[in-house]
Amino acid sequence: MDALLVQEASKTFVQNGQPFQAVKQVSMRIEAGQIYGLLGPNGAGKSTLIGMICGSVKPDPSTQNISIFGHNVVTEKEAAKRILGIVPQEITIEPAFTVEEVLYFFSGMYGVPTGMRKKRIHDALEALGLEDKLKARARQLSGGMKRRLMIAKAILHQPKLLILDEPTAGVDVSLRQRIWELVQQLNREGTTIIFTTHYLEEAEQLCEAMTVINKGKVIKEGKVKSIQQEFSKNLISFELFDRDVPALAGVRQVGTEFELPYTDLSHSMQTLLQHYGSNLKSLHNESASLEKVFLELTTEAQS
Amino acid sequence: MNHMWALYAREVKRFQKLLLDTIFSPIVSMVLYLAVFGVVMSSRSIGDINFVTFIYTGLLGMILVNSGFSNPGFALIIAKNLGTIIDLQVAPIKAWQIGIAFALAALTRGVVTLVVALTMTVWFIPDMQVAHPVALGCIVLLTGLQYGMLGVLFGMWARGFEALTFVTTFVLQPMIFLAGVFYPLAALPSPWSTVSMFNPVHHNINLFRYALINYSDTAPQTSWIVVLGTSLIFFGLMNWMCIKKLNEPIQ
Repeated sequence: MDALLVQEASKTFVQNGQPFQAVKQVSMRIEAGQIYGLLGPNGAGKSTLIGMICGSVKPDPSTQNISIFGHNVVTEKEAAKRILGIVPQEITIEPAFTVEEVLYFFSGMYGVPTGMRKKRIHDALEALGLEDKLKARARQLSGGMKRRLMIAKAILHQPKLLILDEPTAGVDVSLRQRIWELVQQLNREGTTIIFTTHYLEEAEQLCEAMTVINKGKVIKEGKVKSIQQEFSKNLISFELFDRDVPALAGVRQVGTEFELPYTDLSHSMQTLLQHYGSNLKSLHNESASLEKVFLELTTEAQS
Repeated sequence: MNHMWALYAREVKRFQKLLLDTIFSPIVSMVLYLAVFGVVMSSRSIGDINFVTFIYTGLLGMILVNSGFSNPGFALIIAKNLGTIIDLQVAPIKAWQIGIAFALAALTRGVVTLVVALTMTVWFIPDMQVAHPVALGCIVLLTGLQYGMLGVLFGMWARGFEALTFVTTFVLQPMIFLAGVFYPLAALPSPWSTVSMFNPVHHNINLFRYALINYSDTAPQTSWIVVLGTSLIFFGLMNWMCIKKLNEPIQ
């Protein structure tokens, strides 16, 4: 069964009296058990799309279907929400409550029975390294701790689908690593994960598949590896000590680097070494990083 | 329904954390009103009823109306400012249940305030009684819920504190002060006594007096119909506003 099925989802807002379509006929299908990336530049419509999935933004009537494990988010709203966990992009914490109170009431709002809440809270806080903060005031936590508390809130009811909207934005390297480990652990335990991120290495390392959206439209979707392969150009990138030398035919300069497309790698390497010799500072065979794919895709879409 | 009760428990916990502001502040206001009117008009009476007893029974009703409205109203505006409103948007709770959870918490705060206020002040009020205990229970529950739902309605509607304060200052407070808390309706000149009949708060205050000291400006049956009718209207409007506002990004 699909963990998430989105068919022709659209959302139009009215801005300054003018209609503005933030999401335009987006369709995506996420299989159960995946870690799925949702990528796009700022203002691409990712958060609006997530809002439509989690029930905080009503889809346009033209939307065919948005369903979570077969539960339509409009007609079976509560059933869909019960199996969904969401970590919003912004850190939003009840300042009056302690960490325990925040988690106790929020898990109750998801129907976790009273008798099970303490154990679940303990387990979630332990997994996130916050076990000693149980009685601390939520507002007194550091930024990173608040981020972890947001994740704890979202996993207490053991959702089947967990959406993390830029969960590692503004966190240090060790916490980012910890969040990655938690995401992978939850996935191993059977939770399907969707997350949006600006750190493309995250998507590269964690996701099996992804959708790239820009200006409200899907511009690419598929397995991360196959997208990378598709965009992979046979290219040798190199740097020179002295750049003021006659260029080899076919070489183009990109900033301080030079690029040479090739069809036969060993032949092109030989030609390059013969022509530049000891002037070569560095060279490497360029494969398409997700960063480059992303930039290429979003630039293509803009032009 | 368990989901709704967890939200209710959270909102009760919230006002418990701010007792000075949520419980004692309205009681201080009530004591000040009583002190001023008690000193100035202690010798006056309305029929057989001492004037202090008359306004005291009105002030008790006023506490419930005020607590009911302000508790959810301000809790929702704070949630919007902090962004925690998203918890209500994503939780698997129906819109009307969210509204009712907030309204029930408002009722609870009103009842707690009422009990504390009575315990502290009833000893100084002459001829206090409970003429109709069942009616008193009913009007306490209905008033707390009714204005709790109104508070949810405006808390959901208002974009910020200014809008909610505007409604409190220019709509709710005039309705309370023109409801007959401080004077009998018959004391008003002709068109105004009729106009007051259309003020829903008047009927809550009227039923409070009826239940406590068996005094009413308007026939209790009429007031019961108005209170029940406006409660249903407030419920409908609250539900509509909750559905509308919880389905859109709240800024």
